[in-house]
Amino acid sequence: MAYGTVNADVIGTSVAGSNLGAGNASTLKNRIINGAMVIDQRNAGASVTPTDGAYTLDRYQINASQASKLTVQQNAGSVTPPVGFKNYLGITSTSAYSVSSSDYFGLTQYIEGFNTSDLMFGTANAKTVTLSFQVYSSLTGTFGGALQNSGRSRTYPFSYTISSANTWTSISITISGDTTGTWVGATNGVGMSVVFGLGMGSTYSGTAGSWASSPYFSSTGATSVVGTNGATFYITGVQLEVGSSATGFEYRQYGTELALCQRYYWKITSVDDGGSTRYVCWGSGSAYSSTQADICIPLKVDMRVAPTVSYGGNIYLQGSFGSTTVSSIGTNYGGRQLVFVRFNTSGMTAGQGLITFTGSAAGTDFLAGSAEL
Amino acid sequence: MTYKLFKDPLGKNDAGVILDGHTAIPFDPANVDYQEYLKWIAAGNTPTPADTPNA
Repeated sequence: MAYGTVNADVIGTSVAGSNLGAGNASTLKNRIINGAMVIDQRNAGASVTPTDGAYTLDRYQINASQASKLTVQQNAGSVTPPVGFKNYLGITSTSAYSVSSSDYFGLTQYIEGFNTSDLMFGTANAKTVTLSFQVYSSLTGTFGGALQNSGRSRTYPFSYTISSANTWTSISITISGDTTGTWVGATNGVGMSVVFGLGMGSTYSGTAGSWASSPYFSSTGATSVVGTNGATFYITGVQLEVGSSATGFEYRQYGTELALCQRYYWKITSVDDGGSTRYVCWGSGSAYSSTQADICIPLKVDMRVAPTVSYGGNIYLQGSFGSTTVSSIGTNYGGRQLVFVRFNTSGMTAGQGLITFTGSAAGTDFLAGSAEL
Repeated sequence: MTYKLFKDPLGKNDAGVILDGHTAIPFDPANVDYQEYLKWIAAGNTPTPADTPNA
């Protein structure tokens, strides 16, 4: 039976064969998640004083060797974002702290190995990448950051200049791919990390513009944001892409960006519907005993690893026994697609069916899962 | 900071830990919270044993 003719000349005529696999597709080119700073599941736009290692806006971790030297807030200061953007990540220094040689303050995004393995770092075929972003600061001068492998045994400090205070500045930094060192391949580990320095001691600062085998987080001599009380550092439009020049920022649909973030973190909390908050149902299960409730929670997307599950404030179980408040969490048989959690409470009868709610306090009554890098 | 172990569904092996009553961490080697727990153990700390299985 004849099915027709296959035109095998398409590749040669409409798509240059040399471009196949070049990693320069116009969609999903950005290896950074939440580059436009749209998603803030944890804090919903509220200002926080993060501890070392805490996540702020989705996918962005704060590194801080000293506590309480800065705050982070989506759209802090309410300045007008750069053209084409609605949001930015805003950092404000809360003191004039003089960094010591071993201090570090930075903003990091870890990129999963599945999303960087095609860059071929650590091989002779390592691809050149370009990091671009929009930045705004009350300070001027030379700022720094770094690209790192998972073990920080290969790092590339970079520098950039902000010439005008309180003005959005477009930055583009091209980095030749590292042909040596150990780079995580297509796994769920850390493929690479991008760090923006906010004040880095000499131990963690290196010469800009070349690969090093030391754990550098920024470039030598970079401006310290935490060194000036009230100093601001706002950033958005972060993009890391294959190639030797920056291309236009890859805008993603909100749902796509949220799903990308939820591979690493999700939070269920009540929603402010224009002044009236409401309880949010998030699962169902049954009473294992009078004091233990078993709940299965299907995850929104496959998470990177079996997630840590936590709750805050008040969450409730409701069934024929009435309503009872969770007193603690008892187990978490985590999987990447579904978790099975046992909550401790009181007043139930074994076998009773139940549904689960967060309380009505948006943000503080919540259930969350974390599989961050 | 307190960690308390919990057993697997069959009640045989430790399957994770509860941090301060509100956070449940599975024993997944790639989970960064589990890695932090291992550092805590390596520092000489001891978790609270798990309850009697299915108690």
